[in-house]
Amino acid sequence: MVRVLPVLRRSLSDSWRSLIGWSLGVAAALFMYLPLFPSIGGNGEMQQIIDSMPEELVKTLGYEQIASGPGYAQGTFYGLIGFLLLVIAATSWGSSAIAGAEESGKLELTLAHGVGRSQYALESALSVLVRLAWLGLLSAGIVLLLNEPSSLGIDPSNVFGVSAALVGLAFVSGTIALMVGAATGRRILATAAGAGVAVIGYVFNAIANQVEDAEWLRVLSPYSWAYRELPLQGGTDWTGLGLLWGLCVVFVVAATLILRRRDITG
Amino acid sequence: MTPAIETIGLKKRYGSHPAIHDLDIAVEPGTVFGLIGPNGAGKTTTLRMLLDIIRPSSGQARVLGLDPRGGGPALRRRIGYVPGELRLEGRIRGRGLLRHYAEISGTIAPKAVEDLADRLGLDLNRQVRMLSKGNKQKLGLIQAFMHRPELLILDEPTSGLDPLVQREFLEMVREARMRGQTVLLSSHVLSEIQQTADHVAVLSGGRIVAEGAVASLRLGQIRHVRMSLDRADPDAIRVELAAIPGLRDVSITGEGETRVTATLDGDIDPLAKLFARYRVTDLVVEEPDLEESVLQLYGNSPGNARGKGVNRG
Repeated sequence: MVRVLPVLRRSLSDSWRSLIGWSLGVAAALFMYLPLFPSIGGNGEMQQIIDSMPEELVKTLGYEQIASGPGYAQGTFYGLIGFLLLVIAATSWGSSAIAGAEESGKLELTLAHGVGRSQYALESALSVLVRLAWLGLLSAGIVLLLNEPSSLGIDPSNVFGVSAALVGLAFVSGTIALMVGAATGRRILATAAGAGVAVIGYVFNAIANQVEDAEWLRVLSPYSWAYRELPLQGGTDWTGLGLLWGLCVVFVVAATLILRRRDITG
Repeated sequence: MTPAIETIGLKKRYGSHPAIHDLDIAVEPGTVFGLIGPNGAGKTTTLRMLLDIIRPSSGQARVLGLDPRGGGPALRRRIGYVPGELRLEGRIRGRGLLRHYAEISGTIAPKAVEDLADRLGLDLNRQVRMLSKGNKQKLGLIQAFMHRPELLILDEPTSGLDPLVQREFLEMVREARMRGQTVLLSSHVLSEIQQTADHVAVLSGGRIVAEGAVASLRLGQIRHVRMSLDRADPDAIRVELAAIPGLRDVSITGEGETRVTATLDGDIDPLAKLFARYRVTDLVVEEPDLEESVLQLYGNSPGNARGKGVNRG
């Protein structure tokens, strides 16, 4: 009866309802925002609104480029709503995979069967990744679908880079939640870690946008790694992606090693 | 013959608090071994160490000849485990949940799951979250028994089950033993152990305070007795009761109808013969709960003073 990836398949089958919910959220955000671009962004009206806003606010929101199609998609979805949705999803999946399962007693029973600790941690990480990748793919599909009708003028080849950045950025939160869950078994701490990394990264990026002397903060901000080179305009930023995904790998490896050593208490 | 389970000087500390002290047990293959003790005695901690859910602070455990940690997933496929605090949730149906556990267990004979569900009276088509505690416990039993593992480690397996199902469970344990499977069973219910186990260890405060064949332990003998005797002379009864060996905590009240309560630690026959000479209007003979038995019998042993009640059994 041995079949491959039992933990992954169970977690996917346990969470498909929630995945549909997140998919609807992502789709709704894109279908709400992107079609508005021709009416407010394309005719210079948007630029007037931006010009009238305080400069700090514009920089915080990353709206400098919002009058262009790619800048609009970046400012509204990839840098804001999409970021928010995927980070929340990743954090909740990452924290429930180990910490949540431990608190509910599920982890004890699973590990009492023929599943090793490393296998459990790695399959859990993969499960979070698969779901995030689906959301990334879905959003890329919708962006490409709306590109022409909404006159966004996005170079389709750039959508891959920005999607990989978005998914990687969310996966950083998911994997740190996984790691903290592996270390503590406490869901609330895992959630705090995932959300905390996202908030700090966003805030550091926003400060660096405004204060020239604070440019170095970008080094510490996964959000900056993902978006600083504006992948939707300039194409895939391999350095940024390397940093993001490298950090994810570090967190997953750490989660695995930590879980191997620890008592499961539940 | 190599024991199915053997622990040598097994210890577990949580911080500075010792939960298990120098545990030495050996479970022979093909036998049923009962681990009894009050809540907080360290039963769950012990069983979890055998499954590598938690790791001993020192000492050794061998399960089916292997170190629980080194044996890894392959070893745990050969074990069926019911956790002490079974919590199952989710929209998944019983059948789906068991299919998942089947994938990560040993090989399962066709129909094994259906047969077990029939015996225990469980509807596998219901969502797990909708099941009562007793029905969840049945799922727990099925996932432990379904692959007919060489070793069953069952932590308070009958909790939440109604008496009929408990009886069916005890039958399942007997059958497992007849097939040559080894069973390690923890309980705080004495009668459950008495009906199934060959060998018993009494755990209290993280130590074994008594061990031996079931019959050799005096645990079963203590009884609380409560009776009402019609038109008996209290003073005469008092004198008669004083002559019965092992009877203590005697209290006699009432006029016309005499009410007697006492604790008996010994043969019940002399007491029964005494009643027989009166008109008995009420009679209750109660088994004390295990905690009381253990404390009464082994209350002076060193394990009891420390560490009691801090950890879940």
